[in-house]
Amino acid sequence: MTSDPGRFDDSPLLVAGGPPSNSLGGGRRHSKLQGRRAVAVSVASSVVLLGVLAALFFFAPGSAQVRQTFFNIPDARTAFLGDPRGGIFSELDALLINIELFLTAEVLILILAMVIALIRQLTGPVTFPLRMIAIAYTDFFRGVPLLLVVYAIGFGVPALNLAGVSTQPVWVYGLAALVLSYSAYVSEVYRAGIDSVHPSQVAAARSLGLSHGQAMRSVVIPQAVRRVIPPLLNDFISLQKDTALVAVLGIIEVNRAAGIVSSTDFNYTGYTVGAFLFLLLTVPMARFTDWLIARDRRRRQAGVAH
Amino acid sequence: MKRELLASSVAAVLVAAAAATASVSIQSTTVLAKAISGCAPSQLHLYRAGQLIVATDAPAYTPWFEKNQPRNGKGYEGAVAYAVAKALGFKQSQVHWTIESFDSSYAPGPKTFDFDINEITITAARAKAVTFSEGYYNDRQALITYKGSPLVTAHSPSQLKTYKYGDQVGTTSLAYIEQQIQPTQTPAVYNNPNDAVSALSDRTIQGFVTDAPTAQYMASSGEVKHGVVVGQFPSNDQAYGLLFHKGNPLVSCVNRAITQLKNNGTLTRLQKKWLGIYTSIPTIQP
Repeated sequence: MTSDPGRFDDSPLLVAGGPPSNSLGGGRRHSKLQGRRAVAVSVASSVVLLGVLAALFFFAPGSAQVRQTFFNIPDARTAFLGDPRGGIFSELDALLINIELFLTAEVLILILAMVIALIRQLTGPVTFPLRMIAIAYTDFFRGVPLLLVVYAIGFGVPALNLAGVSTQPVWVYGLAALVLSYSAYVSEVYRAGIDSVHPSQVAAARSLGLSHGQAMRSVVIPQAVRRVIPPLLNDFISLQKDTALVAVLGIIEVNRAAGIVSSTDFNYTGYTVGAFLFLLLTVPMARFTDWLIARDRRRRQAGVAH
Repeated sequence: MKRELLASSVAAVLVAAAAATASVSIQSTTVLAKAISGCAPSQLHLYRAGQLIVATDAPAYTPWFEKNQPRNGKGYEGAVAYAVAKALGFKQSQVHWTIESFDSSYAPGPKTFDFDINEITITAARAKAVTFSEGYYNDRQALITYKGSPLVTAHSPSQLKTYKYGDQVGTTSLAYIEQQIQPTQTPAVYNNPNDAVSALSDRTIQGFVTDAPTAQYMASSGEVKHGVVVGQFPSNDQAYGLLFHKGNPLVSCVNRAITQLKNNGTLTRLQKKWLGIYTSIPTIQP
């Protein structure tokens, strides 16, 4: 019955626990009718809701002006493709900058966060200074807003005039700020995953003769990471939006390109296009996350009748 | 002998003072007599009756305003706002200031001010969303850099193409850079002039393009440490205008006020007073 979970989630059928099983044929036809009725009701209610929202939008007094300002098609084309001579940069090109930034950042974040999480897992007094550094790091970078970190690194490090470090291209500083800030959050996610693995796993591994390090690497971490994939993907989606902050360093990424279009033409459609582009990135990621969660649940609960 | 000299000199001073007072009063009556017909404060379409509400952004930058206080009527735009108000017959106490960020000044819908004065360039595309007054200042773009930058000496048109420029978002400087200078490196775009100044100090960008008065102010005030204004670019027929919400009838009276201020030399005088030292810089070609 739940071979396709999620399709008739709000069907009265599943809530009630199933059709009466007096006769197979009657039960199935009954359930099919109930299913069809449920679909009809959900479609009808969605149409009504959307209709009400659309009516509110189209018949509001300022609707024409809002549509002209936020959904202007010629401006959307200019925003999307760009018009260099008019000082307008293509949002599509700018989006590539965002994509490069968050892909690179994510790889570095996953590695750095794992290092920090493992440091915090270390036991023994000799590793105390390392643990303190890790704790201070996560406290600091989770406490300071990312925008301030971007400013501090993007304008502060070049001003220090350190050989080599201070003469990097600007995107390096933006990337560093994103990685340092997000690694603090993601390390906590990893820690939660590691803590959620039952201690009997470590005990079993140690009793098999594995050292602490081998137990972590072969037994605990694979399980831990699999458990925290949904929150990791959540943080990744959040990172995609936060790449917008590198705009304060002068980089023309999507939101900056939208801002340029907006202030050049006094029209907010550029922002609508930017939002749409981000949705194109985020929605597939979110559906992929849901699929991963469902697959993981199926695997973990395989064989359990329900 | 001495007493006669004293008496005649006192008399001369008194006569001069009387003549000065007479000429001043004649001048002021002449100005009052030129009130614009049909545009008295009681006849205008105002956001709040009896008050002229003028908006600008915060912070209000020098030399357009002074000390971030539009109320003091100093700075070119501060002075122009009060001059327009006076030409329409408002008393100084009837002028009220409000803060409106540039990004929201062109949002659709009714505004909470009568007009916005914020170094906003008039363009045809922008005029579709808002109503502009006549221009009150013809701006020119200028280039500022740091001492020791190659830009200081090497700024022929072909050399200008090789540098990394910065500009402020929302200004027409970016379009100018792309159209006229056509550099090989993508320009950097900053939220506000302060960030651009930081980038210039950090040598992240080599030149900052902005309007001539702002550029010269940054160099002379030391905002850009050891800043050097390379030069200003030729006039590009762009003017700053006052911003009204789309279709505001107030603009016609304000335009007549601006025309009057142009004709009687007030605008020129104010420009010389508040922007004179900032615009006497050499011209370079893009």
